[in-house]
Amino acid sequence: MGKESTKTFLGLTIARQAAVLVFLTTVIGLGVNQVRSNRLPLIEDWSHEARLKTPSGQSMVISLDEAKALFLSGEAMFVDARPSAEFEQGRIAGAVCLPWQEFEVFFDSVFPDLLPDATIVAYCDGETCDLSEHLAEELYNMGYENVRVLVNGWSVWRDAGLPTEG
Amino acid sequence: MMVESAQHKKEKYIKQKTPGKLTTVARLVLGAVFIFAGIDKIRHPGAFSEVIYNYQVLPDQLINGTAILLPWLELILGGCLVAGLWLPGAIVLTNMLLLTFFGALLFNVARGLNINCGCFSTSTEPVGGTTMAWYVLRDSFFLLLGGRLFFALRRMHSDDERQKVFQGP
Repeated sequence: MGKESTKTFLGLTIARQAAVLVFLTTVIGLGVNQVRSNRLPLIEDWSHEARLKTPSGQSMVISLDEAKALFLSGEAMFVDARPSAEFEQGRIAGAVCLPWQEFEVFFDSVFPDLLPDATIVAYCDGETCDLSEHLAEELYNMGYENVRVLVNGWSVWRDAGLPTEG
Repeated sequence: MMVESAQHKKEKYIKQKTPGKLTTVARLVLGAVFIFAGIDKIRHPGAFSEVIYNYQVLPDQLINGTAILLPWLELILGGCLVAGLWLPGAIVLTNMLLLTFFGALLFNVARGLNINCGCFSTSTEPVGGTTMAWYVLRDSFFLLLGGRLFFALRRMHSDDERQKVFQGP
Protein backbone atom coordinates (compact mmCIF):
# COMPACT_ATOMS: atom_id res chain seq x y z
CA MET A 1 0.00 0.00 0.00
CA GLY A 2 1.99 2.98 -1.21
CA LYS A 3 0.99 6.61 -1.26
CA GLU A 4 -0.13 6.25 -4.84
CA SER A 5 -2.86 3.75 -4.11
CA THR A 6 -4.27 6.07 -1.44
CA LYS A 7 -4.45 8.90 -3.93
CA THR A 8 -6.15 6.71 -6.48
CA PHE A 9 -8.65 5.63 -3.89
CA LEU A 10 -9.50 9.20 -2.89
CA GLY A 11 -9.64 10.27 -6.53
CA LEU A 12 -12.08 7.47 -7.31
CA THR A 13 -14.26 8.36 -4.33
CA ILE A 14 -14.35 11.99 -5.43
CA ALA A 15 -15.12 11.12 -9.04
CA ARG A 16 -17.85 8.65 -8.12
CA GLN A 17 -19.55 10.96 -5.62
CA ALA A 18 -19.24 14.00 -7.90
CA ALA A 19 -20.75 12.06 -10.82
CA VAL A 20 -23.73 10.94 -8.73
CA LEU A 21 -24.25 14.47 -7.33
CA VAL A 22 -24.20 15.97 -10.82
CA PHE A 23 -26.57 13.27 -12.06
CA LEU A 24 -28.97 13.91 -9.15
CA THR A 25 -28.82 17.64 -9.86
CA THR A 26 -29.68 17.10 -13.51
CA VAL A 27 -32.62 14.82 -12.79
CA ILE A 28 -34.09 17.01 -10.03
CA GLY A 29 -33.40 20.30 -11.80
CA LEU A 30 -34.90 19.31 -15.13
CA GLY A 31 -37.77 17.46 -13.44
CA VAL A 32 -38.78 20.38 -11.25
CA ASN A 33 -38.46 22.80 -14.16
CA GLN A 34 -40.84 20.66 -16.19
CA VAL A 35 -43.61 20.71 -13.61
CA ARG A 36 -43.36 24.24 -12.24
CA SER A 37 -45.56 27.06 -13.48
CA ASN A 38 -42.76 29.57 -14.12
CA ARG A 39 -40.63 27.13 -16.08
CA LEU A 40 -37.77 28.32 -18.23
CA PRO A 41 -37.41 27.08 -21.80
CA LEU A 42 -34.20 25.04 -22.06
CA ILE A 43 -32.96 27.25 -24.87
CA GLU A 44 -34.11 30.82 -25.28
CA ASP A 45 -33.33 33.52 -27.81
CA TRP A 46 -31.36 36.08 -25.82
CA SER A 47 -30.77 38.47 -28.72
CA HIS A 48 -31.86 42.08 -28.23
CA GLU A 49 -34.32 41.82 -31.10
CA ALA A 50 -36.12 38.90 -29.47
CA ARG A 51 -36.04 40.28 -25.93
CA LEU A 52 -37.16 43.79 -26.71
CA LYS A 53 -40.59 43.49 -28.19
CA THR A 54 -43.73 45.49 -27.65
CA PRO A 55 -46.85 43.50 -26.77
CA SER A 56 -47.85 43.75 -30.44
CA GLY A 57 -44.63 41.94 -31.36
CA GLN A 58 -42.76 44.88 -32.84
CA SER A 59 -39.06 45.13 -32.03
CA MET A 60 -37.96 48.15 -30.01
CA VAL A 61 -34.40 47.93 -31.28
CA ILE A 62 -33.31 50.74 -33.58
CA SER A 63 -30.28 50.60 -35.87
CA LEU A 64 -27.56 53.22 -35.80
CA ASP A 65 -28.55 54.41 -39.28
CA GLU A 66 -32.16 54.90 -38.27
CA ALA A 67 -31.13 56.66 -35.08
CA LYS A 68 -28.79 58.91 -37.04
CA ALA A 69 -31.56 59.84 -39.50
CA LEU A 70 -33.91 60.69 -36.64
CA PHE A 71 -31.17 62.72 -34.97
CA LEU A 72 -30.43 64.74 -38.10
CA SER A 73 -34.09 65.46 -38.78
CA GLY A 74 -34.58 66.42 -35.15
CA GLU A 75 -37.47 64.00 -34.76
CA ALA A 76 -36.09 62.01 -31.87
CA MET A 77 -35.37 62.71 -28.23
CA PHE A 78 -32.31 60.79 -26.99
CA VAL A 79 -32.50 59.56 -23.42
CA ASP A 80 -29.34 58.49 -21.59
CA ALA A 81 -30.03 55.62 -19.16
CA ARG A 82 -26.51 55.51 -17.68
CA PRO A 83 -25.59 56.89 -14.24
CA SER A 84 -25.53 60.70 -14.22
CA ALA A 85 -21.75 60.80 -13.67
CA GLU A 86 -21.22 59.06 -17.01
CA PHE A 87 -23.76 61.34 -18.65
CA GLU A 88 -21.76 64.37 -17.44
CA GLN A 89 -18.55 62.99 -18.95
CA GLY A 90 -19.98 62.58 -22.41
CA ARG A 91 -23.29 61.98 -24.13
CA ILE A 92 -25.07 62.06 -27.46
CA ALA A 93 -25.59 65.73 -28.35
CA GLY A 94 -28.88 66.98 -26.95
CA ALA A 95 -29.59 63.86 -24.90
CA VAL A 96 -31.37 64.13 -21.57
CA CYS A 97 -30.21 62.38 -18.42
CA LEU A 98 -32.56 59.70 -17.11
CA PRO A 99 -30.51 57.07 -15.23
CA TRP A 100 -32.52 53.89 -14.87
CA GLN A 101 -31.16 53.31 -11.37
CA GLU A 102 -32.52 56.71 -10.26
CA PHE A 103 -35.57 56.85 -12.49
CA GLU A 104 -37.90 58.45 -9.93
CA VAL A 105 -35.38 61.15 -9.00
CA PHE A 106 -34.77 62.29 -12.56
CA PHE A 107 -38.10 61.67 -14.26
CA ASP A 108 -39.80 64.90 -13.17
CA SER A 109 -37.07 67.09 -14.62
CA VAL A 110 -37.08 65.16 -17.91
CA PHE A 111 -40.85 64.91 -18.22
CA PRO A 112 -41.42 68.26 -20.06
CA ASP A 113 -38.96 67.18 -22.79
CA LEU A 114 -40.71 63.89 -23.48
CA LEU A 115 -43.46 64.57 -26.00
CA PRO A 116 -45.93 61.69 -26.15
CA ASP A 117 -45.79 61.42 -29.93
CA ALA A 118 -42.07 61.96 -30.47
CA THR A 119 -39.71 59.05 -30.95
CA ILE A 120 -37.66 58.44 -27.83
CA VAL A 121 -34.31 56.68 -28.28
CA ALA A 122 -32.96 55.18 -25.06
CA TYR A 123 -29.31 54.16 -24.85
CA CYS A 124 -26.60 53.11 -22.42
CA ASP A 125 -23.16 51.60 -22.97
CA GLY A 126 -22.09 48.02 -23.59
CA GLU A 127 -23.40 45.32 -25.89
CA THR A 128 -25.37 43.72 -23.05
CA CYS A 129 -26.20 46.77 -20.95
CA ASP A 130 -29.81 46.40 -19.86
CA LEU A 131 -30.33 49.88 -18.35
CA SER A 132 -31.77 51.25 -21.59
CA GLU A 133 -33.92 48.14 -22.03
CA HIS A 134 -35.51 48.56 -18.60
CA LEU A 135 -35.94 52.28 -19.21
CA ALA A 136 -37.58 51.71 -22.59
CA GLU A 137 -39.97 49.14 -21.17
CA GLU A 138 -40.92 51.46 -18.32
CA LEU A 139 -41.51 54.40 -20.68
CA TYR A 140 -43.53 52.17 -22.99
CA ASN A 141 -45.71 51.08 -20.10
CA MET A 142 -46.21 54.73 -19.15
CA GLY A 143 -47.71 55.37 -22.56
CA TYR A 144 -44.73 56.47 -24.66
CA GLU A 145 -45.37 54.08 -27.51
CA ASN A 146 -42.62 55.31 -29.83
CA VAL A 147 -39.76 54.35 -27.58
CA ARG A 148 -36.76 52.57 -29.09
CA VAL A 149 -33.43 51.23 -27.86
CA LEU A 150 -30.09 51.92 -29.51
CA VAL A 151 -28.07 48.90 -28.38
CA ASN A 152 -24.59 49.74 -27.04
CA GLY A 153 -25.63 53.29 -27.92
CA TRP A 154 -22.89 55.46 -26.46
CA SER A 155 -20.05 53.35 -27.90
CA VAL A 156 -21.49 52.94 -31.42
CA TRP A 157 -22.50 56.62 -31.61
CA ARG A 158 -19.11 57.89 -30.49
CA ASP A 159 -17.20 55.39 -32.64
CA ALA A 160 -19.22 56.47 -35.69
CA GLY A 161 -18.04 60.04 -35.11
CA LEU A 162 -21.57 61.39 -34.62
CA PRO A 163 -22.20 64.56 -32.58
CA THR A 164 -21.54 64.30 -28.85
CA GLU A 165 -21.21 66.82 -26.07
CA GLY A 166 -19.93 67.04 -22.50
CA MET B 1 -7.50 -9.97 19.83
CA MET B 2 -6.80 -9.02 16.24
CA VAL B 3 -10.23 -7.44 15.88
CA GLU B 4 -9.87 -5.45 19.08
CA SER B 5 -6.52 -4.06 18.15
CA ALA B 6 -7.80 -3.07 14.73
CA GLN B 7 -10.77 -1.39 16.41
CA HIS B 8 -8.46 0.43 18.79
CA LYS B 9 -6.27 1.55 15.93
CA LYS B 10 -9.27 2.80 14.03
CA GLU B 11 -10.58 4.84 16.96
CA LYS B 12 -7.20 6.34 17.56
CA TYR B 13 -6.97 7.19 13.90
CA ILE B 14 -10.38 8.80 13.80
CA LYS B 15 -9.58 10.89 16.87
CA GLN B 16 -6.33 12.03 15.30
CA LYS B 17 -7.90 12.80 12.00
CA THR B 18 -11.10 14.44 13.23
CA PRO B 19 -11.23 17.84 11.56
CA GLY B 20 -10.64 20.85 13.79
CA LYS B 21 -13.29 23.33 14.85
CA LEU B 22 -12.32 25.80 12.16
CA THR B 23 -12.85 23.22 9.44
CA THR B 24 -16.25 22.30 10.83
CA VAL B 25 -17.24 25.98 10.99
CA ALA B 26 -16.03 26.50 7.41
CA ARG B 27 -18.07 23.49 6.29
CA LEU B 28 -21.27 24.66 8.02
CA VAL B 29 -20.95 28.29 6.92
CA LEU B 30 -20.22 27.42 3.30
CA GLY B 31 -23.01 24.82 3.34
CA ALA B 32 -25.52 27.34 4.68
CA VAL B 33 -24.46 29.94 2.11
CA PHE B 34 -24.91 27.42 -0.70
CA ILE B 35 -28.32 26.33 0.59
CA PHE B 36 -29.65 29.89 0.85
CA ALA B 37 -28.13 30.92 -2.48
CA GLY B 38 -29.64 27.85 -4.14
CA ILE B 39 -33.14 28.28 -2.71
CA ASP B 40 -33.31 31.95 -3.68
CA LYS B 41 -32.32 31.16 -7.26
CA ILE B 42 -34.66 28.17 -7.50
CA ARG B 43 -37.54 30.46 -6.55
CA HIS B 44 -36.66 33.03 -9.21
CA PRO B 45 -35.31 31.21 -12.27
CA GLY B 46 -36.05 34.07 -14.65
CA ALA B 47 -34.18 36.60 -12.54
CA PHE B 48 -31.23 34.24 -12.23
CA SER B 49 -31.05 33.70 -15.99
CA GLU B 50 -30.76 37.52 -16.32
CA VAL B 51 -27.89 37.48 -13.84
CA ILE B 52 -26.08 34.83 -15.90
CA TYR B 53 -26.77 36.78 -19.08
CA ASN B 54 -25.26 39.91 -17.53
CA TYR B 55 -22.02 38.07 -16.71
CA GLN B 56 -21.54 37.62 -20.47
CA VAL B 57 -19.33 34.56 -20.22
CA LEU B 58 -21.71 31.82 -21.47
CA PRO B 59 -23.07 31.41 -24.99
CA ASP B 60 -26.79 32.24 -25.15
CA GLN B 61 -27.78 28.60 -25.70
CA LEU B 62 -26.34 27.58 -22.31
CA ILE B 63 -27.84 30.38 -20.21
CA ASN B 64 -31.20 28.81 -19.37
CA GLY B 65 -29.80 25.32 -18.79
CA THR B 66 -27.35 26.80 -16.31
CA ALA B 67 -30.11 28.84 -14.66
CA ILE B 68 -32.16 25.65 -14.23
CA LEU B 69 -29.42 23.33 -12.94
CA LEU B 70 -26.89 25.47 -11.07
CA PRO B 71 -29.22 26.41 -8.16
CA TRP B 72 -30.03 22.75 -7.53
CA LEU B 73 -26.35 21.86 -7.55
CA GLU B 74 -25.78 24.60 -4.96
CA LEU B 75 -28.64 23.36 -2.80
CA ILE B 76 -27.53 19.71 -2.96
CA LEU B 77 -23.87 20.55 -2.30
CA GLY B 78 -24.90 22.83 0.57
CA GLY B 79 -26.98 19.99 2.01
CA CYS B 80 -24.04 17.56 1.77
CA LEU B 81 -21.69 20.06 3.44
CA VAL B 82 -24.04 20.81 6.34
CA ALA B 83 -25.01 17.16 6.86
CA GLY B 84 -21.43 15.93 6.44
CA LEU B 85 -22.47 13.54 3.66
CA TRP B 86 -20.31 12.58 0.69
CA LEU B 87 -17.77 15.19 1.66
CA PRO B 88 -15.00 14.23 -0.79
CA GLY B 89 -17.24 14.67 -3.82
CA ALA B 90 -19.14 17.64 -2.39
CA ILE B 91 -16.01 19.54 -1.33
CA VAL B 92 -14.33 19.12 -4.71
CA LEU B 93 -17.46 20.16 -6.63
CA THR B 94 -17.98 23.13 -4.27
CA ASN B 95 -14.44 24.30 -4.91
CA MET B 96 -14.85 23.89 -8.66
CA LEU B 97 -17.98 26.07 -8.52
CA LEU B 98 -16.31 28.70 -6.35
CA LEU B 99 -13.30 28.85 -8.66
CA THR B 100 -15.58 29.20 -11.69
CA PHE B 101 -17.58 32.03 -10.06
CA PHE B 102 -14.40 33.78 -8.99
CA GLY B 103 -12.84 33.43 -12.43
CA ALA B 104 -15.93 34.83 -14.16
CA LEU B 105 -16.05 37.72 -11.70
CA LEU B 106 -12.35 38.62 -12.07
CA PHE B 107 -12.68 38.37 -15.85
CA ASN B 108 -15.46 40.97 -15.73
CA VAL B 109 -13.59 43.21 -13.30
CA ALA B 110 -10.61 43.09 -15.69
CA ARG B 111 -12.66 44.06 -18.72
CA GLY B 112 -14.66 46.67 -16.80
CA LEU B 113 -18.07 45.07 -17.07
CA ASN B 114 -20.49 45.81 -14.26
CA ILE B 115 -22.38 42.56 -13.70
CA ASN B 116 -25.33 44.36 -12.07
CA CYS B 117 -26.48 45.62 -15.43
CA GLY B 118 -24.15 43.95 -17.93
CA CYS B 119 -22.84 47.39 -18.77
CA PHE B 120 -19.36 48.68 -19.31
CA SER B 121 -18.40 51.47 -17.03
CA THR B 122 -16.42 54.04 -18.94
CA SER B 123 -15.72 56.05 -15.84
CA THR B 124 -14.80 54.88 -12.36
CA GLU B 125 -18.43 55.20 -11.42
CA PRO B 126 -18.57 54.75 -7.62
CA VAL B 127 -21.71 52.59 -7.34
CA GLY B 128 -20.58 49.93 -9.81
CA GLY B 129 -16.97 50.09 -8.63
CA THR B 130 -17.66 49.47 -4.96
CA THR B 131 -20.18 46.69 -5.58
CA MET B 132 -17.72 44.87 -7.84
CA ALA B 133 -15.01 45.24 -5.17
CA TRP B 134 -17.44 43.90 -2.58
CA TYR B 135 -18.22 40.87 -4.77
CA VAL B 136 -14.50 40.13 -5.12
CA LEU B 137 -14.03 40.38 -1.36
CA ARG B 138 -17.04 38.16 -0.64
CA ASP B 139 -16.06 35.51 -3.17
CA SER B 140 -12.47 35.51 -1.88
CA PHE B 141 -13.82 34.73 1.57
CA PHE B 142 -15.91 31.82 0.25
CA LEU B 143 -12.88 30.56 -1.66
CA LEU B 144 -10.85 30.69 1.54
CA LEU B 145 -13.44 28.51 3.29
CA GLY B 146 -13.52 26.12 0.32
CA GLY B 147 -9.73 25.90 0.31
CA ARG B 148 -9.71 25.13 4.02
CA LEU B 149 -12.11 22.21 3.43
CA PHE B 150 -10.15 20.97 0.44
CA PHE B 151 -6.88 20.80 2.35
CA ALA B 152 -8.60 19.26 5.37
CA LEU B 153 -9.93 16.58 3.03
CA ARG B 154 -6.46 15.89 1.69
CA ARG B 155 -4.96 15.80 5.16
CA MET B 156 -7.62 13.39 6.40
CA HIS B 157 -6.86 11.06 3.54
CA SER B 158 -3.15 11.44 3.26
CA ASP B 159 -2.04 8.20 4.84
CA ASP B 160 -2.70 4.58 4.27
CA GLU B 161 -4.63 4.10 7.52
CA ARG B 162 -7.44 6.08 6.02
CA GLN B 163 -8.36 3.27 3.69
CA LYS B 164 -9.24 0.99 6.55
CA VAL B 165 -11.45 3.60 8.15
CA PHE B 166 -13.07 4.38 4.87
CA GLN B 167 -13.74 0.81 3.94
CA GLY B 168 -15.20 0.24 7.38
CA PRO B 169 -15.17 -2.96 9.44
